[in-house]
Amino acid sequence: MNVRSQISMMFHLDKCIGCHTCSIACKNIWTDRKGTEYMWFNNVETKPGTGYPTKWEDQDSYNGGWEKKNGKLRLKSTGRGRIIPNIFHNPNLPSMDDYYEPWTYDYQNLFNAPEGDDQPTAKPISMVTGEYIDIESGPNWDDDLSGSPIYGENDPNIDGLTDQEREQLFAIQRLVFFYFPRICNHCSNPACVASCPSGALYKRGEDGIVLIDQNRCRGWRSCVSACPYKKTYFNWSTGKSEKCLLCFPRIETGQAPACFHSCVGRIRYLGVVLYDADRIEEVANLPQEELIDGQRSMILDPHDPQVIAEARKSGIHESTIKAAQNSPVYKFVKTWKLALPPHIEYRTLPMLFYVPPMSPVISSFDGKTVDGTSEDLFHDISDSRVPMKFLGNLFGAGYTGKVEYALRKQKAVRWYRRAITVGDVDMATAERILLEADCSVEEAEEIYKLTSLCTVEDRFVIPPSHREEAIEALQDPMTRKQEAGFGFTAGPRRGM
Amino acid sequence: MKRIIGNQLTSGKRTLFDRSLFLLKSPLKTITFFMLFGLILGYGSPAQSQDIAQTFKQNCSSCHWIGGGRLIGPDLKNVSQRKDRDWHVRFILDPKAMIDSGDPYAKKIFAEAKNVLMLKVPGMTAKLANDLLDFIEAESKLDSSQFAGKKVALGPFSAEDAAKGLELFTGRTKLENNAPGCINCHTVNSVGGSLGGRLGPDLTQVVARLQGRTAITSWLSAPPTATMKSQFQNKPLNEQEIKSLVAYFESSANNDRYNFDSSIIWIAVIFCGFGGSLFGLILFSGIWGKRFRAVRHPLVKLSKIRGES
Repeated sequence: MNVRSQISMMFHLDKCIGCHTCSIACKNIWTDRKGTEYMWFNNVETKPGTGYPTKWEDQDSYNGGWEKKNGKLRLKSTGRGRIIPNIFHNPNLPSMDDYYEPWTYDYQNLFNAPEGDDQPTAKPISMVTGEYIDIESGPNWDDDLSGSPIYGENDPNIDGLTDQEREQLFAIQRLVFFYFPRICNHCSNPACVASCPSGALYKRGEDGIVLIDQNRCRGWRSCVSACPYKKTYFNWSTGKSEKCLLCFPRIETGQAPACFHSCVGRIRYLGVVLYDADRIEEVANLPQEELIDGQRSMILDPHDPQVIAEARKSGIHESTIKAAQNSPVYKFVKTWKLALPPHIEYRTLPMLFYVPPMSPVISSFDGKTVDGTSEDLFHDISDSRVPMKFLGNLFGAGYTGKVEYALRKQKAVRWYRRAITVGDVDMATAERILLEADCSVEEAEEIYKLTSLCTVEDRFVIPPSHREEAIEALQDPMTRKQEAGFGFTAGPRRGM
Repeated sequence: MKRIIGNQLTSGKRTLFDRSLFLLKSPLKTITFFMLFGLILGYGSPAQSQDIAQTFKQNCSSCHWIGGGRLIGPDLKNVSQRKDRDWHVRFILDPKAMIDSGDPYAKKIFAEAKNVLMLKVPGMTAKLANDLLDFIEAESKLDSSQFAGKKVALGPFSAEDAAKGLELFTGRTKLENNAPGCINCHTVNSVGGSLGGRLGPDLTQVVARLQGRTAITSWLSAPPTATMKSQFQNKPLNEQEIKSLVAYFESSANNDRYNFDSSIIWIAVIFCGFGGSLFGLILFSGIWGKRFRAVRHPLVKLSKIRGES
């Protein structure tokens, strides 16, 4: 057993209102520089939809992530032999059109326009060419509903849906959708790290944050094509790639990352999980249907004395072990089995988990009116407007079992709370539903508290980073004594 | 050199030390300096009679003998009796201009040489021409001039000689004094289909053009043209090599096998070029044809097509 600690994340999609505050908080801190105009380390997608970049989940086009070949894992995008015919260009990169052409507006025109018959307008200007453009797409184009008939239909998660379910989806795209906020998953088997020819990407030992060393990056862009979530980006100005850094300067000072901190719906949870690094390869190699269970078994119980002893042996600090014991993510993922990894079939073992969203009952359309009534308020989850298969493609590696389990448990907790607060449901029924959903009364109470009444301390359990210990392992921390500075004195730029 | 002491700019007077550094600072300038110095020394010395003989050997002897009979050009024995000194000097300075001017004697000797034009010697001056004419006059008075013509043993050429000549021509056998191989600039009968060089003239009929074995042998022993001279002045061909080459030239002049119009080969080369490019393009499209180009754009296009139909 090789115990490592990881700052892990959980997004409660049932609470997300799609306000994009997280994206803006991130943008203002990290990607408002030259060369990063098009980057969104955090973005919020509308599902069903094609996302950003367009159809990033379609790995037949982008070749991201890992694949099993002759029983062994290999990167889909590149490899020692496969790089040779493509040595002069990287064939799997999204084009700028697939992200979007970043733009601003000609605000000056509002003040300086000559007097005329009409109100002056601020025309959009491309931030790439500086010319006036017609906006064709944006980072949350699906949300703007500007092109959903095109984009919603092409969501890769629709694969495998029956015709009836597809028809249902046409209704969804008009009547219901849910939000899917995305940041870097800080995977335990990161494809980006594996693909980098310069060895510039690394997974930080003490907290598992995946970072790009700006001094070592040579702009090969292998990480951009290898990451199946398309969460590394190439900065055309500095010639280096950049990615979400989980606001590590904030984490190191005990603050939640900007997107977590600013989240209006309080959907984001952050906490340490301990996992067994020796099992990464074995787990990533499991058959698709066993991946989620495999990853859960890789995450270790921080209360187990043996795990604690092994963690100490690996040099994990006492305070980190304590944080792991209080981790809300551990509870959602392992104890309650509510949170699921996105697209674990890419085999990168993402360490960001999602609680799948509830959705209204299927409404029937008789040609004139939409009938959305149901006999009971908390309808059976299989009647949800979002087909289980769709959620299964997104969070269950193509299988619906885990998603249904999570949704059923959420529903049971709602029944239980309704029995207490409203009283129109009798407690015996509520308890029966809880039992069916594999949930005890205590557990339901705890889920309710951590979902609805959670404080900042409940949501973000950030251990002291003990950066000094991490530095000590590599260099003498006293070399920085009596020096002042903020890391970079000169920003990253092109060239060696 | 300006010096700043405190915040005051002081005078820019150069010290001896500064000047002596000049040579160290700029090695290129130093080398140029010494080279110029050497040139000035070298030009000072007067031309000796030994030098003029050398000049004659290098520039004239490949086409002219003194008392040995006609080579490519006429025998120069007692040449001064044929025309006056002024005419000769003018002819030496620019033979072509003389012939073009319509001078009857110049035209006559041009015709006698089967229209092989006498070369304008680079760096020729009136003084040097006079010196050469003096030298020829002096040599003419001797019983046997050193330039009366070397009797080259030109026995019948064997097929082996010709084969050896081909080896030398193509550069498969290195020339003894490391001169560049003929094929770099010349061709003979397309040299077995390999075309050969196009920089210099085609040498297929060279023996006939230079009027016989003796003349070409003499020509090759000290090639007079500017290009050839620069290559062979210090790396002359030896007798055996000349013999082999002449044998080769003679044999190939009568060889019909490769004596075809080389434009056929050029057409073949162009066709192969096009064919090769086409093959390359097909190969590339096979390897990279299915490469990833765009995602969003095709979606929009497809939906537009569907919308229209």
